[in-house]
Amino acid sequence: MTGLDLRRPGDPGSTLTLAHGRGRLLRVLSTTLVASWFLLPFAPLALWAFANQWSFPSTLPTEWGFDGLSSAIAQGALPALGTSLLLSLVVAALATPLGALAARALTFGTVPWPRTVSIALLAPIALPPFAAVLGLNVLLLRAHIPPEAGLVLVLVVMAVPYTTFTMRVAYAAHDIHYEEEARTLGASRWNILWRVHIPLVAPALSRAAFLAFLVGWSDYVVTVVVGGGEVVTLPLVTASMAAGIGNDSAVAILSLSAIVPPLALLALAGFAGRRPRTGAVQKTPNVGERP
Amino acid sequence: MVLPALVPAVFVVAGGVGAAAMQSLGLMPLVGPVRFSADAYTGQAEDLFRALGLSLAIAAVSTVIAAVFGVGTALLIVGGRWCGRILAATSAATVTIPHLIGAATVGLLLADSGVLARVLGVPPELWPSLVGGPWWLAVVAEYAWKESAFIALIVAGTLITRVARFDEAAALLGATRWMRFRFVMLPLALPALAISSTIAFVYTLGSYEVAWLLGRTYPEPLAVMALRLFNSVSLTARPEAAAAAVLTTLVSFLVVGACFWALRKTALWR
Repeated sequence: MTGLDLRRPGDPGSTLTLAHGRGRLLRVLSTTLVASWFLLPFAPLALWAFANQWSFPSTLPTEWGFDGLSSAIAQGALPALGTSLLLSLVVAALATPLGALAARALTFGTVPWPRTVSIALLAPIALPPFAAVLGLNVLLLRAHIPPEAGLVLVLVVMAVPYTTFTMRVAYAAHDIHYEEEARTLGASRWNILWRVHIPLVAPALSRAAFLAFLVGWSDYVVTVVVGGGEVVTLPLVTASMAAGIGNDSAVAILSLSAIVPPLALLALAGFAGRRPRTGAVQKTPNVGERP
Repeated sequence: MVLPALVPAVFVVAGGVGAAAMQSLGLMPLVGPVRFSADAYTGQAEDLFRALGLSLAIAAVSTVIAAVFGVGTALLIVGGRWCGRILAATSAATVTIPHLIGAATVGLLLADSGVLARVLGVPPELWPSLVGGPWWLAVVAEYAWKESAFIALIVAGTLITRVARFDEAAALLGATRWMRFRFVMLPLALPALAISSTIAFVYTLGSYEVAWLLGRTYPEPLAVMALRLFNSVSLTARPEAAAAAVLTTLVSFLVVGACFWALRKTALWR
């Protein structure tokens, strides 16, 4: 979904389909329209975040300030931000290798009943999260699994379809001969993994990890039901504020703090993805030198 | 090597659905004797069907809007240059936002004292009740907004890998813009569009927080109904919540199954 390999201006052979004249105007207009469709919901956040007072008819806040910020912090925004980050990173750290292992095994045909296995791994996408946790909650309670572990388990399973799919696309284009070559030349398994295999699939791994991070970061209902009040993430705090009345500026601050971290990751990934090939090839030997 | 991923997935899917099914049939009571009964379904059949209808309607309308916007955005993205780059960036940014946060911001935007009403200078009593109103407009808007970005990225991702040559060949052969859309872009985009729309539809069907925050209390969609019953103190409520969960799961799997069956059938796959 992210880090798309876009055609850029100046790419060869695209002049035939370039729009001219009226078509071009139409294109710019529709781009503006679609961009505002995507950006419009962000507008209230920017205005409300630093509005101490905004009495009704005025089009702009009547008094600017940081009341929203302090009220959000008073509601526990900072620990919730930490919990959200930790939870999402744990989900990404678990779901990415699991997805990669499964994708590799499925791509290189070492799995019995590959179709059934792929369907089972993709099934969580079709499973409504609330339905899964209503049933699971009882099982987890009876098995005395702590809520934190149960929460991570469910979120990892919900992330695995995305990581598996991303890694399958990557392994489909992956040339396993590099690894065989390295093995012929006497490289150890560990060396092959760190110096050949992982560098070659690193972009896909980071895409998969980002998607898994988003699954943890975006979740609400699983955290509410399985977390059982023990785990308070940013969406939970935002929800309790948004369900009340008169918290608009705190809601805006909380929303902004939930929007910025994934956007920063996305920008980082986009930036790293901008200078691929040459950089990656030069860097490859260094990767294995990490302890 | 698939086992580390497969075992938890099977546990969550089969365990979750299985336990929900057993609870709904009275085979896994919190207290009291185990007694098989379909009361949880028959006793609230009318409510279940109303909730299902509402959930399906919300999911269908928002998915259709999202698909239209998504394909349009994907075409602009594939067109490249700065228009394409801006839209790729904005839709990628939209995808990363949690639905609950999206619901909160849409609420700030569309409520009767929301930012849009202020900017347009419409007094609350004249502002249409988008949030919590009878037509679930804010809920549909939030889903359509978020899912259109998702569909755009999936469709653009597929189109970019293979469309340029076909598009240019068609242009060279004298195809107009409309013909290139109708006979080149659309057929190539269709499998990705079908899959991403199905995912969006099923997600919307089983999603809780947006309808809970921006919707009204009655009638309620399946997810909201299930969680309200789940948190209720009454003893009969747990099986009823589980029944709503089982119904949603069945419909979701049916929809996804139908999508893949249709894709296979029409040989659009690959």
